[in-house]
Amino acid sequence: MTREQIELGNVTPHNVKLLRHLNNVIFPVSYNESFYKEVLKVGELAKLVYYKDVVVGAVCCRIDTSNGARQLYIMTLGCLYPYRRLGIGTRMIQHVLKLAETDGDFDSIYLHVQVNNNEAITFYKKFGFEITAVRRHYYKRIDPSDAYVLQKLISHKRTANEGHKTKENKKKF
Amino acid sequence: MPSSNPLPPKENALFKRILRCYEQKQYKNGLKFAKQILSNSKFMEHGETLAMKGLTLNCLGRKEEAYEYVRRGLRNDLRSHVCWHVYGLLQRSDKKYDEAIKCYRNALKWEKDNIQILRDLSLLQIQMRDLEGYRDTRYQLLMLRPTQRASWIGYAMSFHLLGDYKSALNILETFLDQQQKGNNYDYEHSELLLYQNMVIYESGDLKQALMHLESCEDQILDKLTLKEILGELNLQLKQFEKAAKYFEELIRRNPENTTYYSKLIQARELTKPEDIVQFYLSLADMYPKANPPKRLPLNYAVEEQFRNLIDNYLRQGLRKGVPPLFVDIRSVYTDKRKVEIIEQLLLQYTDALKKIGKFSENEVNNGPKEPASCLLWVYYFLAQHYDYLQQTEKALMYIDAAIEHTPTLIELFVTKGRIYKHAGDPYEACKWLDEAQSLDTADRYINSKCAKYMLRANRVKQAEEICAKFTREGVSAMENLNEMQCMWFQTECALAYQRLEKYGEALKKCHEVDRHFSEIIEDQFDFHTYCMRKMTLRSYVGLLRLEDVLRGHPFYFKAARCAIEVYLHLFDEPLKDENTEQELNMENLAPSELKKLRNKQRKARRKAEQENAQAAQAQVKREQYHKSKQQGDIEADAPQLDELVPEKLAKVDDPLEQAIKFLQPLQNLAQNRIETHLMAFEIYYRKEKILLMLQSLKRAHRLDAANPKLHTCLVRFCRVLNQNKDGLDPIVKEVIEQEKVLLFNNKDAIQLNRDYLDTYCNSLEAVLEGAKMLYYLNPKLQSTALGLVTNLDNKYQDVNIKVCKNVLRSLKKGDFGQCDSQIEEFMTRCQTLFLHAVDFRSSSSTSVCESNHVPPDQDNYSSN
Repeated sequence: MTREQIELGNVTPHNVKLLRHLNNVIFPVSYNESFYKEVLKVGELAKLVYYKDVVVGAVCCRIDTSNGARQLYIMTLGCLYPYRRLGIGTRMIQHVLKLAETDGDFDSIYLHVQVNNNEAITFYKKFGFEITAVRRHYYKRIDPSDAYVLQKLISHKRTANEGHKTKENKKKF
Repeated sequence: MPSSNPLPPKENALFKRILRCYEQKQYKNGLKFAKQILSNSKFMEHGETLAMKGLTLNCLGRKEEAYEYVRRGLRNDLRSHVCWHVYGLLQRSDKKYDEAIKCYRNALKWEKDNIQILRDLSLLQIQMRDLEGYRDTRYQLLMLRPTQRASWIGYAMSFHLLGDYKSALNILETFLDQQQKGNNYDYEHSELLLYQNMVIYESGDLKQALMHLESCEDQILDKLTLKEILGELNLQLKQFEKAAKYFEELIRRNPENTTYYSKLIQARELTKPEDIVQFYLSLADMYPKANPPKRLPLNYAVEEQFRNLIDNYLRQGLRKGVPPLFVDIRSVYTDKRKVEIIEQLLLQYTDALKKIGKFSENEVNNGPKEPASCLLWVYYFLAQHYDYLQQTEKALMYIDAAIEHTPTLIELFVTKGRIYKHAGDPYEACKWLDEAQSLDTADRYINSKCAKYMLRANRVKQAEEICAKFTREGVSAMENLNEMQCMWFQTECALAYQRLEKYGEALKKCHEVDRHFSEIIEDQFDFHTYCMRKMTLRSYVGLLRLEDVLRGHPFYFKAARCAIEVYLHLFDEPLKDENTEQELNMENLAPSELKKLRNKQRKARRKAEQENAQAAQAQVKREQYHKSKQQGDIEADAPQLDELVPEKLAKVDDPLEQAIKFLQPLQNLAQNRIETHLMAFEIYYRKEKILLMLQSLKRAHRLDAANPKLHTCLVRFCRVLNQNKDGLDPIVKEVIEQEKVLLFNNKDAIQLNRDYLDTYCNSLEAVLEGAKMLYYLNPKLQSTALGLVTNLDNKYQDVNIKVCKNVLRSLKKGDFGQCDSQIEEFMTRCQTLFLHAVDFRSSSSTSVCESNHVPPDQDNYSSN
């Protein structure tokens, strides 16, 4: 498997319906209209993944400042079933990690995982995520309805001085 | 500037300023100076000034005044070349080229050496293909300007176009002799040599052509063309070794050009399939990245060798994910054995990929797994494979498997739509294309495909809306598509309107397409000077030849066929005047109902008025837009064509004459299509022109004597002759007697039809026409005729959707008389044969399925 076969691409108003198709097939939860509106605005935080020129997965994040901290929240990260175990998830998570690194102003990255999704938990642990909390009845229509919060602290958050610089960089997103 | 009425110096200076203003496009100033001359009572009727005033007005778009002034000017000074020239320019701007030529000739009578007029004349002559006139004008130009290159080339070319190669070559040679001294081997010189070579080649003297090219090889800069011509000449002269050398070199330059391979095969004199395969295989080793040496041997290899080659070829394509792989291979599907092999291989791939991720289960232990997308591409291929073989259910099964595997591959939805289209359901097809389109709205190809499918489903408005995503903003899509000469769209539109029985709208679209062709011919004009100056002579001659046969293009054929069909229909069933029809109905109404009806009419009228007002507004806007566009456009002097109004087009007085206008180009340029002559027959049959009918039949007969449609024409013609037996002119009669032998073997209509039905008894398509004629000749045989076309047991080999649709259409049209119950039975029978085809569903169930087929609301759909 060569790396060039996997490429990242932008989500645009022209192809956003592909993202819908993906999410409908990959995740048991369905996302509403505002989700798809938001991903069009977040730039690099939302990406489609192409495997040999075919869209097979996507990752969508958002910046969460609700708890007094600046966190990168992974809303969705997934890949079509026949294309799993080919390094596509790795490629996506690496993209997210790199985003957090270049931005330099995040305290942590976090996400929710259904408690019985061992595959996902193992996957994220490999990249330094840890279970930090359980959210009871997080999911409404699926069973089990509980979710783990998986989090990875960003150790090298830059000093305030440098942080100022990255604010400018951020505009590129 | 001799004139019968010369101006004194002061006025003459003013006149010169008018000319200058005209050249510099300062029209307002030009008019001012003209006024200064004309307001002097002595010169009020000065011809040349009046003419120039007219010409200037023409440039400002005041055409009527322009004609008035120019004509008045001319009347006042008939011996002035200026007045005649101006009149010619005016006519030219109005595209009346024949008239313009006459004017120029008159102008030259009074000033025979005027270079400008001669040049203008030569342009018109070449545009009108008055080649002899062109030659004479070019001769005069050469005599007047012997030092100019264009003079020589133009003169030589006039002989070339006339087919007088010897004179053309003499002139070119003389010219080149003078030139060579400069030793300037630039590109234009190189093109001129290649043009010279083209003339020699066309003269038929291949040896001379080869010698010529070899002698000036180093002066030719277009090395690719040089090698191609050298190869071709050697090949035609049977100097195979030399030819092979050139084509080997060309393949090295571009191993993707398939013609080089076939030429090399000719040069190596390979004829046996196995030699040809071997040839390709050795080249495939030499050029491992090139496609042709891998693809082309598949056309020649058979059995095991084919299996091995196609196995490799398919694997490579599937591994890489080549979307058009099936289309690439499709041409070998004419060979049933090859289809079998391909199917076996693909089914083997499916199993093996599912089980172990490889193309064959024998390869469990060797090598890495195939890419995860392989299975997807195998499903995709199989869907197209079964679709091609008309096995709709299997095709649908595989396309659904593919969509389940990867729901994000847009091609899958296009193919699903295509499967439905082939299965006879344009509405479902359209739905899937719309889905495909929505997945990538930036893809123009998918967008166009989607629009086309919508038109096939008769959804014109929707198609226009889809196209609007790519047309210019601020203009209606329909208008922009017309401006862009988007002919496929307009033709499909016309066909949709024809199906919807909106004949006026259909004709409008056909006329629009016809106008594009006129415009393309018009557009040549600019090239006459440009190409001569740039020395692109080979392409120029190519262009002239292309324009000569322009309406032979399939796009024109399609639009013309539609127009002719519509006009024939309008002749057979002219549109009824709505008002008179309503009056008739009113007589039978009770007073209360009458009142209701009147109310309704009043409302309808009011609505129509509102719509008209809106349309008028839109029209004003459109005009404004055109005006604003024209202001920036120097060529605003193009004549405004009449607006095409659907209602007027549909209420045409002389539909057959109109049909003939569309037919004539086809008779000249599409003689090889039997439909041309069959349509011609239909027109002349209605015009009762016996000899023209005969002519059409003879031409059709020559192309395909067994054509089913031709048969009905022959039978009807036979009957026409019988009916007019006594009224015919003796000479006409004699001609017909002669031709009868060839066309009918001297049989009468009944015998002719009986024999036809016997000969082609296993083709439903043929039997349909025979049965039609059976009923036509003797209505008492209705049940026999109906039985022939509605019993679809095993005797026919061509029971497919297309033919069955034709049968149904014919039944409904009344070709077999009243037969409602048979129609229903036939539809039921076809419905079991063609599950998806909408045409065979009874009208009550169609309306239900129509509503089902309305594309779902986007959000609803994606939540499925």
